[in-house]
Amino acid sequence: MNSLLQKIKKSNLMATFSIYFVLLFLFLISMMANENFATIGNLSNISRQIAVGTILAFGQTILIISGMLDLSSGSVLALAGVLSVDAYLKTGSLIVSFLVGIIVAVICNILNGLMVTKFKTPPFIATLAMMAMARGAALLYTNGQNIYQIGDYVIFGQGSWFGVPNPVWFLVITMTVTWYLLKHTVFGRSVYAIGGNEEAANASGINVDRVKMKAYIINGIFVGLAGIIFMSRVNGGLPNGANGYEFKALTAAVIGGTSFSGGVGTASGTLAGAFIVGFLDNIMVLVGVNSYLQQIVRGAIIALAVIYDIYFKTTRKKNKAAKG
Amino acid sequence: MRKVLALLLVFVLALGMLAGCSSNTSTSTTEAATTAAAGGESTDKVFRVAYIARAQADSFAAWLANAVMEEADKYDNITVDVFDGQANDDIENGLIENAITNKYDAIIVQPNNGEAQRPYVEKAVAAGIVTITTNARISGIEGASSVDADPYLQAKVNADAAVEQIPQNAKVVVLLGPPGNFHADARRDSWQKEFFDKRPDVTIVGEEIANWNKDEAMNYMETWVQANDQIDAIIAMNDNMAAGALEVIKDNAKFSNILAYGVDGTAEACLLIQEGKLTSTSLQSAYALAEGLLDTSNKLLTGQETQIDIDIDCPLITKDNVAEYIEMHKKAGAIQ
Repeated sequence: MNSLLQKIKKSNLMATFSIYFVLLFLFLISMMANENFATIGNLSNISRQIAVGTILAFGQTILIISGMLDLSSGSVLALAGVLSVDAYLKTGSLIVSFLVGIIVAVICNILNGLMVTKFKTPPFIATLAMMAMARGAALLYTNGQNIYQIGDYVIFGQGSWFGVPNPVWFLVITMTVTWYLLKHTVFGRSVYAIGGNEEAANASGINVDRVKMKAYIINGIFVGLAGIIFMSRVNGGLPNGANGYEFKALTAAVIGGTSFSGGVGTASGTLAGAFIVGFLDNIMVLVGVNSYLQQIVRGAIIALAVIYDIYFKTTRKKNKAAKG
Repeated sequence: MRKVLALLLVFVLALGMLAGCSSNTSTSTTEAATTAAAGGESTDKVFRVAYIARAQADSFAAWLANAVMEEADKYDNITVDVFDGQANDDIENGLIENAITNKYDAIIVQPNNGEAQRPYVEKAVAAGIVTITTNARISGIEGASSVDADPYLQAKVNADAAVEQIPQNAKVVVLLGPPGNFHADARRDSWQKEFFDKRPDVTIVGEEIANWNKDEAMNYMETWVQANDQIDAIIAMNDNMAAGALEVIKDNAKFSNILAYGVDGTAEACLLIQEGKLTSTSLQSAYALAEGLLDTSNKLLTGQETQIDIDIDCPLITKDNVAEYIEMHKKAGAIQ
């Protein structure tokens, strides 16, 4: 028995799935803490609430794996969302407004990509600049005022299909796309290679700049989509909306095991990371934890989850080294 | 490389177009400023006023800044420059110092945090500059004037109505603004004294900080709806948060009779009152504040008076009188 336990501990099982154990543990604790937690309605709420941030997080995951990041995603989301809402009000076409949202976010991210690849700006600085510019543009365009009466535009964020809320469908689609791109395409392998060692990737014939640009374009599509869902969900064009969402996205990716040193990360890990934060925020409100205390607990759990994850990953490496 | 430059150029042009079609106000200041400079001292004196906004990204603050610019157009002897404090005490204090150095004739400060700006406002007064604080006023500065709405009263007019309207043994949820914010705290304090203390039968089943934001309020309301079969009223410290909570239950028959209270009188809130979803709100009119600010500036600058402290009205908006406020927002272009 004892040896079985040790075997489990030493096997890769815990290491590979450590973050999912954290998630499961949190789920069970929450279930015991409040009887309303594990209801379909509540779980559907949580999925809807985390959808926007998690879609951004998938874009971040691809970028972080390849050694980059995007600080502009919250601001670009607002710009794309506001212009998309406005396009709907001007044309009355959901398709046009949808395309406008995506295209605006992609253009911003092409600019991010150009700054990073052509002008060799560090991604941190390039996207920090874009963060300010996009927010400024959104506020300028609307004169700082919210846009109301957006009519049927709310379908993207408030409608549902086969009983599943639309934001959750978008979440599933982006998750699948991210997973497929990372696991099953040359692009995905290049992303890991570049994040692992950019010079080696370059030497092995990977067109590094092209892959980086593609990563930003994919991120742009996700950000645009998130912007459309966000504005639709809040039933308005809020130029000041989604402030700080880039950090929500980064947090989900990092809790999910994506490494800032590059080359490591998965789509499912990011989803788990997002749900950890989502469960935590939800259960604290259900139980009625003091608002200030909530912030402390949120920070502490993030730190613990990551420490736990890293601890198991390093023991795996040690085990491997010992075996080898 | 050429492609890159072409793309960049397109972007800059696009930005230019955006700027062109949306920012009439900023161009008008530049024009006004130029005429002022050209006119110089030979004609009547044109007073330069620095308006230091809390944050142009905050929708009420932006509304107020826009209203101040519009109101300033009515005065031939005043030009206003708007500065953005970016919701940051340090930046806002720096802007006040700059305005003193640039020898503006008057400085209007909409503080991010009254106590943090107090010493800088005192410096402006000491430099002999006409100084006005607004939304919220910084009180007790010798020589400084103020134009404000009273946040306690804004919440009280709603709370007074709620004392009658909210049923016995009701369960309510409360949505709060950012802690430490003068208006957020004063409004909550008013609800406590004017409503909760008078109605000990009412239970608060949820109370969270949603930072004036619609999306944060939505998240909390979604969770409360899961945990409570009965919620009789939404008590929000501003309209944005009330609107967010109402968004969650708009198609939920279980909560179709819920009462909801806000503050500010935004365009969205007026529409919600018209639809019968929001029970009441109180108007904090940016136009009234702007009128007060320019009138006060004018009187102080021309030496008619030396210190003025005024409060604008905060009328209660309900279904009975909402039409008049919808008309006001239509005129301003906030409602189609």
